Amino acid sequence: MKTLEVVPLTRVEGDGGIKVTLDGKKVRSVTLDVHEGPRLIEQLVVGMTPEDDLNVVPRICAICTLSHKYAAIRGLENALGIDPPEKAQVMRDLMMLGENVESNSLHTFLLALPDFLGYPSAIAMLDDYGDDVKRALRLKKFGNRVMQITSGRIVHGENPGLGGFGKYPTKNQLTEIALKSKELIPDAVRAVELFGSLEYPEYPEAETTFMSVNAPAKKFGLAGDSILISNGKETDADDYKKLTSERVVPHSFAKRSLYEDKTFAVGANARMINMGKRVGGRAGDFFKEHYSERWLRNPLLNNLAQAIEMLWALEQMPETTELVASMDDPKRAEPTRLTGSGTGAVEAPRGILYHHYDIKDGLVETADIITPTAQNLDDIEMHMKLCAERMLADDKKDAEVLLALEMIARAYDPCISCATHLVTLKRL
Amino acid sequence: MHKLRHTPGDPEEALTESIEAVSGPGPVYVLGLGYVDKADDGAGVLVANTLKKTFPDHSFSEHDGVEGVVMDISGRSGPGVVLFVDAGDLKASPGTIEIVARDQIKDTEISTHRVPVALMAAILERSGKRVAIVAIQPKCLEFRADMSEEVGRAVAAVEAALSRLMRERNG
Repeated sequence: MKTLEVVPLTRVEGDGGIKVTLDGKKVRSVTLDVHEGPRLIEQLVVGMTPEDDLNVVPRICAICTLSHKYAAIRGLENALGIDPPEKAQVMRDLMMLGENVESNSLHTFLLALPDFLGYPSAIAMLDDYGDDVKRALRLKKFGNRVMQITSGRIVHGENPGLGGFGKYPTKNQLTEIALKSKELIPDAVRAVELFGSLEYPEYPEAETTFMSVNAPAKKFGLAGDSILISNGKETDADDYKKLTSERVVPHSFAKRSLYEDKTFAVGANARMINMGKRVGGRAGDFFKEHYSERWLRNPLLNNLAQAIEMLWALEQMPETTELVASMDDPKRAEPTRLTGSGTGAVEAPRGILYHHYDIKDGLVETADIITPTAQNLDDIEMHMKLCAERMLADDKKDAEVLLALEMIARAYDPCISCATHLVTLKRL
Repeated sequence: MHKLRHTPGDPEEALTESIEAVSGPGPVYVLGLGYVDKADDGAGVLVANTLKKTFPDHSFSEHDGVEGVVMDISGRSGPGVVLFVDAGDLKASPGTIEIVARDQIKDTEISTHRVPVALMAAILERSGKRVAIVAIQPKCLEFRADMSEEVGRAVAAVEAALSRLMRERNG
């Protein structure tokens, strides 16, 4: 018996590692072990007011902070019967576009690209790909700026709230976003061209199922009340438990998810697979050019999907800011009840993020948060195991196998800190 | 040779001299890193936020978007030094402060949530800036816990040392 390990797994968020157990050339198991300690956020918010909950839950993550905020807002608004004004909805779209650019730029250029180009890290790429490193930083800075303008701060902004926003951006700020987004489009195009030109190894390929929200009005988007499944089904977001069937495993502090007893994937590739035909502009052209049946099998193509999505996000911004500017600042919508249940589903950069709340007499009675990384972990392991088996059968060296497995795990852009916020401690 | 590690109780002037020794010419920029919700992990952000009141163009924290700040500083002409202030496991008693020179900053990348310090350092160096880390040994990293007294005192010492240096050099 032999064990190959990657500990820690770098260029992912949080403390994790990959363990491959071999019996000769036969792969006994491949596990993505999550060592990050649990943070028990769902228990922490019980008894809080919905407003306090909104201040606490985004702390689960510093990069998807607005996704957590927005998922919580949607869940709480559904529970409390709040109907937010149209301008607030459009502003929420804008803040999510900013977060998408912020996160996808970092992952594509700086975390995923070095593997494909044969560099140990983005630092080593500086001599040959210095302009691309700077592109990543420019795009991330701009994504952060959009988040700052819409949410009040770059990290953990408190401007978005139940029923609307505390303050809406000025026309100058909206113009700044519109102009800068247009200016940065060549940087996103470069990302698409780079990832569109890469060789994607076939070793990890296997059919899987993809889930994403169904954005309203038949548009590509980052929030919705129902979930699209790549098998053609559509399910109300309130039925999220049936879609995710959470369970615990011994080697991980993060819960796992299966759909109809099989693994599934969420993320940019799932969004593109389910809603890609709705994308317009240059991003739509690139999607048509690059999309193939391989997207349904190869998790590494999530990197290309992220690049196309980043371009889509930038292309959406001028129109979205114009729409925000065209509307008067509304008052926040108020709750119509103090007891109720609701689910919010949004597309964090890494995939669907669910927040469900039961509110009783104006206080949180239960909270349930299911993160994209927790949904993806079984799928990551499935693809890694297949990849290891095939590469070992082809007499690949251990180091090559481990790098390939790291690339698969990184392709999902996992956020381990997010995934470990919710494990239940059981004492016998 | 200046002392690079300062234990609690060491004179403040010695810390200023140590930082000055790695700084080279030009203005001093401070970039505070960390997570304020995790007790001592927020030490760097606290230092930067205090200095920002007096030096708004030269002190920044994690909350200002460090990648953007690095881009801006690297675009400024002339020499200078960027000091990343962060909690770090120095295998020392809580509150110990160490000045980590650029060549000792590891190139490993553990987190995706921001660009690695080593990459930011490399970009800054290419623009003619020096880089060093002022690391503070944490005692407690628990979520929503209070900062420890030892690290609180270290934060005050670093603030005082950097404030003195920035007053002298930043005009």
